[in-house]
Amino acid sequence: MTETACKIMTAREAIRRYVNDDDHLIIGNYTVATCAELVFEVARQKKKSLTLYSQSGIFDVEVLVGAGCVDRLISTYVYRAGGKEGSSAVERALKDGSLVMEDYSNFQYNARLVAGMHGFSFMQVLEGAMLSDLYNKRSFMGDDKYKVITCPYTGKDILTVPAANPDVCIVHVQRADRYGNAQYWGAMGSVAAAALASKRIIVSCEEIVEHDVVRSSPHLTIIPGFRVDAVVEVPWGAHPCEVVGYYNLDKLAYASFLLADLSAEGLADWIDQWVYQCPDRAAYLNKYAGIHGNKTLNAIRARAFYSAPANYGSAFTSCWDENGKERTMGVTLDELTAIIEHGGKNHG
Amino acid sequence: MGKAYTFDELLIIAAAREINDGDRVILGVGLPTTAGAVAKAMFAPNAVLMMESGIIDIEPLVPPNHIADANSCRGFSYATDLFSMFTMTYRGFVDVCFLGVAQIDRFGNINTTVIGDYLKPDMRLPGSGGAPEFIAYARRTVLTMRGGEFMEKLDYLTSPGHLTGGDSRKESGLFRHGQGPTMLLTTKGVFRFHEKTRELYLAQLHPGVTVDDVKKDVPWDLKIATELTETPPPTDAEIDFIRRFSPADSVGKKKMMELAMMNLFRQAEANNKV
Repeated sequence: MTETACKIMTAREAIRRYVNDDDHLIIGNYTVATCAELVFEVARQKKKSLTLYSQSGIFDVEVLVGAGCVDRLISTYVYRAGGKEGSSAVERALKDGSLVMEDYSNFQYNARLVAGMHGFSFMQVLEGAMLSDLYNKRSFMGDDKYKVITCPYTGKDILTVPAANPDVCIVHVQRADRYGNAQYWGAMGSVAAAALASKRIIVSCEEIVEHDVVRSSPHLTIIPGFRVDAVVEVPWGAHPCEVVGYYNLDKLAYASFLLADLSAEGLADWIDQWVYQCPDRAAYLNKYAGIHGNKTLNAIRARAFYSAPANYGSAFTSCWDENGKERTMGVTLDELTAIIEHGGKNHG
Repeated sequence: MGKAYTFDELLIIAAAREINDGDRVILGVGLPTTAGAVAKAMFAPNAVLMMESGIIDIEPLVPPNHIADANSCRGFSYATDLFSMFTMTYRGFVDVCFLGVAQIDRFGNINTTVIGDYLKPDMRLPGSGGAPEFIAYARRTVLTMRGGEFMEKLDYLTSPGHLTGGDSRKESGLFRHGQGPTMLLTTKGVFRFHEKTRELYLAQLHPGVTVDDVKKDVPWDLKIATELTETPPPTDAEIDFIRRFSPADSVGKKKMMELAMMNLFRQAEANNKV
């Protein structure tokens, strides 16, 4: 591998280097393993005027909108609870005009990233949605939200969405090596497409592992190291959300966040306590343990259920057999050298 | 007389009975995930349960928190991505899907996006998620509505059901194998769609509910099945399963919250004593 530079850095450094005001920022995770610490760091550094992409934006979107980082949102599913009396940061921001939002369906959102990751300019999506108000009602994307073209083979109408290539993806995974090879398993969602469609990629992980671990399990690698700009090791980096193989959803912490989020003041107070007052994830975990004790986190630690190892072995790893003879031609290296010298340099 | 059952157990089993053995099933958030687990454990052992996050052939051991909850299972058979889940549905490989509803009209078109104006909403609801494509291409769609409303006209049509009724869905030519919504489950009864007109009608009443109770929620003159039946209660074995698998669903959200709060206080007290 040519790009062998170690990409390990802190969340603070990664976000400072690779996330700019006005960027199109995409949350790589879908519903689970939310990159909570990277989201918090974006908020701490008070990044502004972001266009935020999140396939299913509950915790991540509420925090970033609540922290005032987002001007435009592209999503398929946002948080709302509490019936008529309820609320959400997204709803409050839409109402006061500080946020505009474009809705897509799950498939269409993912299709925009698939087009982007493969370098295409658009992607065909499923035509039934032409009868949905997703098609009819458009926000800041306007005419470019969808276009209908004629299939050159069948003559039928085809609904299309434009490719998306966000400036930067932040994503949390189970493990990565120092070069950025990122391994993720569980609900695959749109995680790989979100990362690979993006121009820059910041990976946080539960643990950094030796490069050999990655080489023996390439089927788990969803982002190749050469595409990754920064690797951040953050144990409990998705808390209060869950990471398969590491920990479950922290229902208590999650519920108290959702409760706080019912009002703008409640959310602001929560962000102040858990994001601004904690300079990093270690401080956040200390604060958490101070309030709840260590028992709560220990109770949601995953017990191991290991994947059966896949055998990547082969019959041999050298052209020369145990007697020093080349496997196809049956000669030793010395014999081969003599043949080459005897025959001159111009064998064809 | 069977065992006493709770209202939530009745709803769960009513949804579960829409799953046939061998069906390939997309489960949605909430009640359907429990319904799917019950069906697979009790009467549809060959059902293939999946969720749009790309986890396929799951056998949940605890109720999934959401549609990407691989923590609720001990492994599963196939890990694919969201994109492929939908193209699989598009090609006709999904027999039944479950969707939640906020607003529904008489032909089973649904709104889960917004109450009021789209750009300046009175209430911003979660949005479409995967609903528009699942309702379009899954062979059957089961709708569940708790706390939603029947509307003459939707504020926003998120997911097209039977459009303007009759043959309009078929004639659009846009839906391949998808028959559209086949059942609506509410807290008062079970509704189905008329074979010809595709209009919603009341097919079953939950025990203790009257036709008038249902009609007062519906702004049009709701049709009633000529042979209106009562939603059959869960069997003792089904009740036992649901209680063991998802005790919080069994008691219902309100009671669950009450008990959970009491438990938290107890734990806090115990911590203070240490």
